[in-house]
Formats: sequence, structure tokens, C-alpha cells
Amino acid sequence: MKTLIVILVLISSTLFAKSNTGITIPYVDFPMKEGKGMYSTKGKCNMCHSWGYTLNQGLQSKKFWREKVMKMIVVFKAPIKTQKDIDTVVNYLFENYGNGELE
Amino acid sequence: MERRDFFKKALTVAGTAAVGSTTTEAAQTVHPVDNRKVSDIAFPQKRPLITYSDRPPLLETPREVFTSALTPNDLFFVRWHMPIIPTYINPRTFTIHINGEVENKLKLSLKELKTKFEQVELTAVLQCGGNNRTAFKPTAGGIQWGVGAMGCAKWKGVRLKDVLKKAGLKKEAVWIGFNGEDKAVYNETANFVRELKLEGLHDDIIIAYEMNGEDLPYLNGYPVRLILPGFYSDSWIKMLSNITATKEKQKLHFMEKAYRIPDNSCECETPDSLAQKTKPIEEMNINSLIGYPVTGIKVKNDADLVVRGIAFDGGHSIKKVQLSTDGGTTWNNAKLDDGSQGKYAYRTFSYTFKPENIGSLTIICRASNEKGEEQPFAKDIKWNRGGYKYNGIDEVTVEVV
Repeated sequence: MKTLIVILVLISSTLFAKSNTGITIPYVDFPMKEGKGMYSTKGKCNMCHSWGYTLNQGLQSKKFWREKVMKMIVVFKAPIKTQKDIDTVVNYLFENYGNGELE
Repeated sequence: MERRDFFKKALTVAGTAAVGSTTTEAAQTVHPVDNRKVSDIAFPQKRPLITYSDRPPLLETPREVFTSALTPNDLFFVRWHMPIIPTYINPRTFTIHINGEVENKLKLSLKELKTKFEQVELTAVLQCGGNNRTAFKPTAGGIQWGVGAMGCAKWKGVRLKDVLKKAGLKKEAVWIGFNGEDKAVYNETANFVRELKLEGLHDDIIIAYEMNGEDLPYLNGYPVRLILPGFYSDSWIKMLSNITATKEKQKLHFMEKAYRIPDNSCECETPDSLAQKTKPIEEMNINSLIGYPVTGIKVKNDADLVVRGIAFDGGHSIKKVQLSTDGGTTWNNAKLDDGSQGKYAYRTFSYTFKPENIGSLTIICRASNEKGEEQPFAKDIKWNRGGYKYNGIDEVTVEVV
């Protein structure tokens, strides 16, 4: 009887372990539009989040993209250090994911 | 309408590369983007869903799921803020910390949660505040969700109030902060902490470890998440691991800046004149959605068509759902389910009729509640910068053949 219980416990614990071995989140490709500043932008944005998170904000104004980039720097501590780098990213975003409006 | 035009209109597929439209369009609220295709990649414990991002995962439920009272766990939408999510949690060692202005700091295991408190169950709708954001023109900031950043589940867990009572709140405690296990890439980035004012906490707020009779899927917050029935999901913290009571409101980006709407009677503003004063989005607006038929399908003329869908609000009880096939000139009452899932749950509806003319047919639905609130037409909904709380009258267009 004891052996049976031990076996049952073992079986149930293996089953339990099987049911929670964690997950692996798949990689989904969100291609970036080719354009000036793409590689720089890729390096600065995509190290923290997927490009899907960016492009699915919709087509936006230059002001919107600049504010987003500043939020990433100020709130999320994105390592975009120089004004030149900021401008490169903002210009790439606006030229490729812009709505044509500056504000 | 020409047949070809019909399909062009019906299949507005944005797929994974969803983009909003430009501000050159009239600044009037429209119907949210519909009929986006699910991804060909299924995430763990999920069926393929509309996929906006993999890191963090942002997944939307397709429209046709919204015919049933409960949304299956593997079809339930997913929204995270931080890109680093634990991919394994050991249920034996997982702990919820309760600290701050409390008499007894607690470290609760899952086992203690399940054995030392009264176990409660309730059915509640979980909806992102930005659900339907694509309705807003000009394009509002944030993920351009269609209609499916929502779901309804039966949650089992313990009352937040009981847990706080066990910790013994000091009389100085005014705010309760909640944080989960998701993390930013950089250590310096603040966590996604949400705060609720103690005086606003009611008995129906629970810490849930079960969703529709199963463990929560990892992507919905395994092993426990906060359930705030009637409220949008911005504070339904997933993988909840820390609860802190404080005297003062903490300075938090996600509380000060995110998930806020203009603090005026219309909760609206214009891009040129943004509201100075804002407030949290909190209680859900009354809403309803047609799950069947979906736009683009063909139905037979003079044959029964059974329209099915769901309606819900912030907890005031749905009174009726009405359907119209003439743009809202005449309305017909749909049949509602018995409401036994409670006031925070989806109320399913059905309406059977026979289409009488060949060609394009638009079906719209409108819910109203016991409080006297009724859904407005999409075009009458005013803009806000975050694109929050959309609840326009839904529509689908089928082809009668």
C-alpha cells in the first residue's frame, strides 16, 4: 500500500512538473522600413522592445515621435545620449511612420 | 454598392503591421479597425491571436470570440508594459509581499493564499482602457487596438480586503501600491507600479489565482493577478508580488501620466487645446459588440440569421441590447441571457431575423443599463489624447446573397 502511495505521489508530482515548466516567448519579426537612420534607430529602440511596439503606435506627427523618444530617455532610461542621436531617431520615425504633420 | 467595392471595404486587413491613418482625414471618431488577421505564430498557452508585439507580448482577441459569456483562456488578450517577463515561476516558492504602513509585514505563499483566507469567485470583464483606440482621429497615442483588447473570465481567489486585514493596516495608510514581476531592461527604469486609494477599495476586488477553472496562463499573469471588477485593466497587476501601503501618493509615471483622461464632463479635449486637468480612466463605459456575423461574410436572403454578441458596463447591470438594420431608425430588442454571471460579467445577447434584400446589409447594436446610460454613435464620441474609453455603437456589414 505504502509503495502504491509513493508511486502515486511520484506520478502526480511528475505530472505537476510537466504542467508548469515555464514558457518560451516566440520571436515575431516586425520588419522596419528601409530609410536613413534605420540601423541607428534599430540599435536604440529594439534592444528594449520589439519594433511592433513602435510601429503599432500608428502614423504620428513629428512632435508625437519626439515626445515618445524623450519619454523613452527620461522615464525608461533609454541610452540615447546625444542630441544628434535623438534627431536621427526622431527623423527616421517621422519620415517612415509619420503623418506629415509637424505638430 | 458594387460587389468588388464591398470586399475592398470589408477586408481592411492591417495584419501585424497595423498603422493608423493620417490627420488629413476629418477629425471625427470612426469605427475601430476590424477584421485584422491573427498571426501565424501561437504564443505559449494561446491560440494564434492578432499580434502587435512579441516583446512585450501584445495580443488581441478576434471578434468572432465575442459570442460567449466567458472568453477561453487561450483566446484571452494579452498586454504587458515591461519587456522582461518571468518565463518560469515556481508555485512553491512564489511569494506575495505585503509591506509599508502595516502592523505585520506578510510574505504569503500560494498555498497560504489558497488555505488561510475565504475563497471567492466572481466573473468580470477585463478590458484595456485603449481598446478600440483605432476609432479616434487624429490617431491617439498608444497601441492601435481594434475591438478585441478585452475578455471575460470567472476568477477565483481571495479578497484584497482580507489580505490587508491580516497584515493590519496602520491608520496612516492611505494608498495601496501594487507591483508585479515584469521588469524593464534597465535597472534604473521604474517598475510598473499602480496605486489605489484605500477608501475606494470594495469587497469585490480580489487577488485571483484561477481563471475559468484553470491556473492563469503565464501571459495573463500566472500565478496571481489583481482583479478590479468594473474598472479598465490598467491596475489589474499581473504576476502580483508586492503590495505596499503608504501615507503619501508615490510619484509614479504610470499613475501621473498614463491611463488618464480629461477631468471634465465630456472627458474630451482637442489636439489644439489639451485639457490641463486629468483624472484616472477607472470605471468602464457601457459597451457591446457583435461577435457573429463578422464583416465580410455572406448570408442567405430570407433565411434566419442569428446575430450574437456581448454587452457589459462598469457594474450597473445591462438592461437591454437593441439591434438595428436601418442605421438606427428602428431598433429591435435582442434576447439577453439570464444575467446569472453577475453585474461585472458579459451579458450575451442574440437576435434572429431574416434579411429581406440582396446586397450589403449593416447591422448595428446598442446597449443600455439600469443607470440609464446608453451607447452613443461612434461619430458622436469626442476625442482624448490617449484614445481611451471608446464605446461607440458597433456595426458589422455582411453581404446578403
